[in-house]
Formats: sequence, C-alpha cells, structure tokens
Amino acid sequence: MDREYKRRNFITTFTKGNIFSKLSYVFCGLANIRYGQVVKGLLFLLLEACYFIFLFTKGIGLLHDLTTLGEHEQGMAFNEAIGIYEMQQGDNSMIILLTGVVAIVVTICFLAIWLFSISSGENARFNHDNGHHVNNFFEDVRSLTNENIHFLLLAIPVVGLLIFTFTPLIYMILMAFTNYDNEHQPPGHLFDWVQLDNFKTLLLSSDKLSQTFWPVLGWTFIWGIFATFSCYFGGMILAMIINSKGIKIKKFWRTIFVVTMGIPSFISLKVVGTMLGEKGIFNVLIQKWGWTASAVPFLTQASFARVSVILVNFWIGVPVTMLMVSGILMNIPGELYESARIDGANPFVIFRKITFPYMWFVTTPYIIANLIGNFNNFSAIYFLTGGGPMTLDYYKGAGKTDLLVTWLYKLTADTNDYNLAATIGILIFIISATFTLITFQRSGSMKNEEGFQ
Amino acid sequence: MRNKTVIGLNLEHFLKALIAIVIGFISLLLPFTSKEAGRKNMVSTAASVLSAEHAPVISFFLYLAVVLTVVSLLVGIASYIWTSVKIVRCWMYVQICATFFWTMLLFAAKVILDESGVESNFLLKNAGVGFWLGLIAAYVSLVFIMKVAEVNVGYIILTILGVIWMFPILWILLTALRAEQGYYVGYFFPKHLTLKNFYDLFHNTAVPFGKWWLNTMIVAVCGCVLNTLIVLGTAFVLSRTRFSGRKPFMNILMIIGMFPGFMSMVALYNILKGLGMNQSIGALIVVGAAGAAMGYHITKGFFDTIPKAIDEAAIIDGASRLQIFTRITIPLSKSIIVYQVLGTFLGAWSDYIFPRLLFGDRQSSYTVAVGLFWMTDFRRIDSYYTQFAAGAVVIAVPIVILFIWLQRFYVEGLSGSVKG
Repeated sequence: MDREYKRRNFITTFTKGNIFSKLSYVFCGLANIRYGQVVKGLLFLLLEACYFIFLFTKGIGLLHDLTTLGEHEQGMAFNEAIGIYEMQQGDNSMIILLTGVVAIVVTICFLAIWLFSISSGENARFNHDNGHHVNNFFEDVRSLTNENIHFLLLAIPVVGLLIFTFTPLIYMILMAFTNYDNEHQPPGHLFDWVQLDNFKTLLLSSDKLSQTFWPVLGWTFIWGIFATFSCYFGGMILAMIINSKGIKIKKFWRTIFVVTMGIPSFISLKVVGTMLGEKGIFNVLIQKWGWTASAVPFLTQASFARVSVILVNFWIGVPVTMLMVSGILMNIPGELYESARIDGANPFVIFRKITFPYMWFVTTPYIIANLIGNFNNFSAIYFLTGGGPMTLDYYKGAGKTDLLVTWLYKLTADTNDYNLAATIGILIFIISATFTLITFQRSGSMKNEEGFQ
Repeated sequence: MRNKTVIGLNLEHFLKALIAIVIGFISLLLPFTSKEAGRKNMVSTAASVLSAEHAPVISFFLYLAVVLTVVSLLVGIASYIWTSVKIVRCWMYVQICATFFWTMLLFAAKVILDESGVESNFLLKNAGVGFWLGLIAAYVSLVFIMKVAEVNVGYIILTILGVIWMFPILWILLTALRAEQGYYVGYFFPKHLTLKNFYDLFHNTAVPFGKWWLNTMIVAVCGCVLNTLIVLGTAFVLSRTRFSGRKPFMNILMIIGMFPGFMSMVALYNILKGLGMNQSIGALIVVGAAGAAMGYHITKGFFDTIPKAIDEAAIIDGASRLQIFTRITIPLSKSIIVYQVLGTFLGAWSDYIFPRLLFGDRQSSYTVAVGLFWMTDFRRIDSYYTQFAAGAVVIAVPIVILFIWLQRFYVEGLSGSVKG
C-alpha cells in the first residue's frame, strides 16, 4: 500500500477515499467509527439524524412557505358545515419569514457540521494509515483545553451570535426585499416578495421617499465629517495644552473634562436638550445677559439645530479624544521637540511639522472608525433633537437633523415601515463597508512603511 | 527694557503688555453704554450707577473692573521702574482679577445698567466701542503679562473651557437640589435648596426608582462578568492561537458589525418572545453577553502586544493553552480588563433603545435609562424634572468616581487599541 503524506482535501477525500470515506459523505461519522473514534462518529450520526428528522417533519414546510410568505389572508370565510361566515385565522407572513430564516440557519449549521465531520473522518483515516495515534474520545475532550482551545472558548460566543445576532440580521436583510410596510401588517394582512423595488423607490424614484433619502444621506455625511474632525482636533489641542510644560495639577484639569464622559450620554444629552429649548435655561440666560432680544431657536430651526447638535457633540466627544490622544502624545520622542526648539521653531511649526503628522499617522484607522461611528451616531441626534425640526418636505416622521440611523429607527418604531428600514440598513452597511475597505488598504500600506519617519 | 535681564522673567513681552494695559486704560474713557444712554464712558457710567438708588449688588463687577484696570496700570508702571519677579507676579494677579471682572460684565452689564436706571433696555450688541476694546485689551495684556512672568498661557483657555464644560453638569446638580418644581424656570440658581427630590425619588409609588436602580445594577454586574469573560476568551483565541477558519470568523464578525445594530432589534424581540424571555431583565443580560464577542478588537490588540516568547516558554514547560490563558495572559492584562469592565458597566447604565423595546410598558423591569426617559416624556416632564435630575445625579456619581479612579487604565486601553 503506497502511503500518502498529505491530508486529502474535501474533493479528493471522496475521489481517492475507500468505501468508508465515500459513505461518510452520506452517513456522517462513518469514517470516524471505522478508524476507532466510535463515540465521535456516533455523535456525528446522531446530529445528522436529528437534522433530517427536523427537515422532514417541519423544515421542508417552513422552507416552502418562505417562498410564498403565506397565501391565506385573514378574513371572513364561508363555513359550509355551519352555513355562516366566520373569522378565519390567516397566515402570518412575519412568523413565516422568521421561522423560515431559522430553518435556513439550522441548515447552515448542519452543513458546517457535515463539512467538519468529513474532515474529521479524513484526519482519523490519515493518522490510522500512517501509523499515528488516533485520539479516542477522552483525549479529544482533553484537547479542548489545549490545541483545540478555540472550540472551547468560542462555543458560547458563536452560539450566542448565531441566535441573537446572525438570525435576526438575516431576517432583516430579507425583509428589505418584501413589502412589509404599514399597509401590509400581519396578522391582518400578508406581505410578499418584491425583489429590488424598495431600493428603486428609495434611490431612484421621484417619490417623496427618495426626496427624503438623499438630503438625509447628505446631512449624514456632513454631520459625520464635522462631528469627527471637530472632536479630533479639539481633543488633540486640549490634550496638548494639558500636557504642556508649566501646567500644574494636570490631573485636576483632566478630571474636569472627564466628568462629562462619566455621565451616561443619554442623560447629558437629554439635559442639554432641555437647556436649549425655547424656554430653556440658555435662552433665559442669554436674554437676561442682553446677548439677544428674543429667544434663539437652537433646536427648532433647521440650520440652528444642525449647528447645535454638532456643538453639543463637540462637548461630549472632546474628552474622549483628549484621553486617547494623551496616551499617544507621550509616545512622541522628546528629542524631536528638543531639536525643533533649538532650531527656533515656534509652537505652530512644531505642531504642523511634528505633532500633527505623528498623530495623523498613528490615528488614521481610529479616525475612519470614528467617522463610521458618527454616521451611525444614534444617541447624539435622537436624544437631543429627536431628528427634529420636522418638515413637510420629507417623508412622514423624518426631520431636518435626522441621520440615516435615526430615520431607520423611526421607520421601525413609529411608522412600522420595516421594509424601508431594512433597506436603509443595507445601504448603511454598504457605506460602512466602503469606508472600512479604504481603511484596510491604508493600514496595509502602513505596515510596509516601517513606522513613522 | 532691552538691556535688562531678570532671572525668571521673559522681558521680551514686557513692552507689549504695558501697551495693552494702557489701551485698556484708554478704553475706560471711550463710550461704554449704547446710543440711547448717550454713549457714556465707563468711568461716568460707574459714577452714575454708584449714585443710583436701586443699584443691584452685582454692580461691584463694574466698579472693580474700573478700579482694577487702573490699579493694574499703576502696578505695570511700577514694575517698569522696579522690575522684579515679585512685582510682576503681583501685576499678573491684579490683571487676572481685572480680566475676570471684565468678562463678568459680559453677563452682568444688562442687569446693572437696567436696574440702576442708566439704560432702559440694554443689548450687548449696542454696547459702545470702549466695552469691546476694554475686554480685548484685558485679555491681551493678561496673555503678555503671563508670558513675562513665564506662566503657561494655557491656563486661560483651560479655565474658560472648564467653565463651559462644567456648566451643564452644574445645572443638573442645581436642578436636583432645587425646591421649586417644574421644568422651565427663569433663573439659574435655585431660590431654595432641598434634598427632598432624592427622598421623593425613592419613596414615590408611581416611580419605582429603587427597583430600576437594582435592575440596572444586576444587569451591569452580570454583564461585567459575562461580557468580559467572553471578550477575553474570544480575543485570546483570535490573538494567541492559529486555527483554520480564524480569518473567516474574524471577517464574518466584521461584516456583521457593519450593519447598524438596532436594525435587527425587532426580529430579536420576536425571537425572545418565541423563547418566552421577553420583558425580563434576564433577556437583556443574555443578549448583551451574546453580542459581546463583537467587541473583541481592542482586547485582541492588547493581547497582540504580549510577547509570544512567554507562551512558547510555558508550552515547553508543559502548560496547556487553557493554563496559559488563565495563569499568564489574564494576570498580564489588568488594564484591558478594567477597560472592558468599565465599558460594560457604563453601557448597562446608558443603554436605552433595546431595553425600551424589550420591556414595553412593564415598568417593574425597567432599567434606569428607560425609567428616567419615561420620566422625561412631555406629559410628565414638568412634574418629574427635578426628580429626573436627582436620578441623574444618583447614577452619575458612582460612575464618575469609578471613571476618575480608573482613568489611567482607560487611557492605556484606548491607546493600546490605536497602536494595533
């Protein structure tokens, strides 16, 4: 028998394998049983049996319903036996979609187990054929604390993510291709697949929806850029002042600013929101001080509100950047400053030629992450203005300071237009993914650069 | 001045400081009040306020601004003649006070002028050139004097910013202590101080704040333990071990992370309902723990910086991977653990959207965030605003103390993530 010194891959396991290897594509774990891993093999077989029992009792029905999303609408139907019209329980499209997604996820999990059982069987065969030791079940269990520790430590996170993150996400993504809006609410009504219609209305039509989408998207970008860079530079300058020579009790100054970070943001935002109201304390005071003759519409007029949210976000965001930058500033080699000062550079030149390039180099990924975070900065907008001021130019519910995320939230919470919300979610994903790709390319080029020069 | 040198002083800027203070002095003689009041200069305004019958108490801002500017000029001239560190320091302190009162005039001018009857309806934008010139001159001379005295000018900026940053926080505190109920009051400082708001908060039958607080504490503590363990485990595996499927796993997590989180909340709610877990705080803990692995990046970045050689040495000595994790990696990661715990703890107190959806109208399982928000609904805000502020103080104080105490770790955690 000629020996192979390489493990076979998924395809060659089948083509080159013996009868056990081939049959283990149908009966999971057969190869394991053949080569001495009886318990493991039986476990695989048991899991397979469970899956197929699920599939034939329930799964096929669920997956079939998924293609139609329900056929019988709830309503009055004539009952011939009694001879009267009676209320009939219709299909619930939402439940059908959700259970269908669960069936899909279960199937994906089974496929993963199937693939794993094949590679595990091949491993057993390989070790057996080459005269290596084949682990028995207890040794396999013990290996969970050592070379297979990733199974042990990732089991809980993976199960958690599958149930509570992955499944709902698939459900919502699919929803973007249905017409589950406020006129198609189960259980009273059915909704159906509509392919890409939602994307078309949102992006391309001359409908009010797309007339809302584009301005909201524009404001999201403006907000993201202003919010990110104002906090970035503000925090950097603040950190530089606090860390500069001759400032005593640095800890005291840092603490003053850090206090705003310690207060949960929804509280400080809500409080500042009431302070900025028409009769809020700011308006009371500035009139008392004689700064203006009448109340300033801080949050009730579009352009004022937009400036206000950026300024309040500055108030909240600067301390975070300040703390982060403080750590990095200390890493800048002191000799750079020393020699610059000897050469007669003033503080601005030092900032422009040394501090800023260094910071920019180190923090680019952070800035991009922050930019994406700000595009999705739900709390800063929602708790402060609630997206207001409202306007008739926009689709119902959307206001002038609404970001895509807050609009998404309102669509689900207030108007129940789940399909639109899901569509916006996918568009947000596309935007975030684009920015992330850019970051990856940049940081890839950074790794080749051998550090800051 | 050119040939003089004094140790501890930077006399380069001395003349500039002196010129600025002279300009400040001249501005006292330029028009201060608006056209209506006849463009009086500051000195004569001060004189007429002094002789007015109903001059408010804060008029002393005006007097002191005038007096201190003159004093500062005199001290400045004196320090020109007898230049020494002491006298320049003295000059600086005088100028700090003068600048302070000039700044306070920005806020107090209207009250002083209106109440003393000098002007009827003063608006800052109508103030004369003397006012603005004096204000600017005060700051400019302060900057130059500080430069002469070799004191960091950053103090001025820090003080101004510190006041701005503290203003809303002071407002929350004062509202929490305010005896007069209500949402809109026309003044900053309460007329009567009381601790009744705090008492009411915990003894109000309509608002079970104590229960909310306890709920949140349970969620926060369980979350700290579970989430931190999960994050540490995930980060350890992804950072210190190599296995097939590691890269795809990380990529899938990244892709999931790019969808807005609460896009899937409605579906999540339905799943929890199907599992019979809706409206309980247990669901909040489970969901929080289930999603915790998504935030592994920062911890992984930290683990990446621990030298591999330590692990290799331990393996040679016969340690298993689990032992490396519990005996070596975790003891080395104090700052990142504190960072994680702090972040989770803070998150539990401020998380609003999902608990709101989850609990619906079942008040007894609300967390503090949902509860406090319920209190600020427009129908209730007027009767609960002071209690809301008291509640805000109650939850903010422990967190702020924790934060100040553990600041160092937070900085280390954050800057560690940036390096990675």
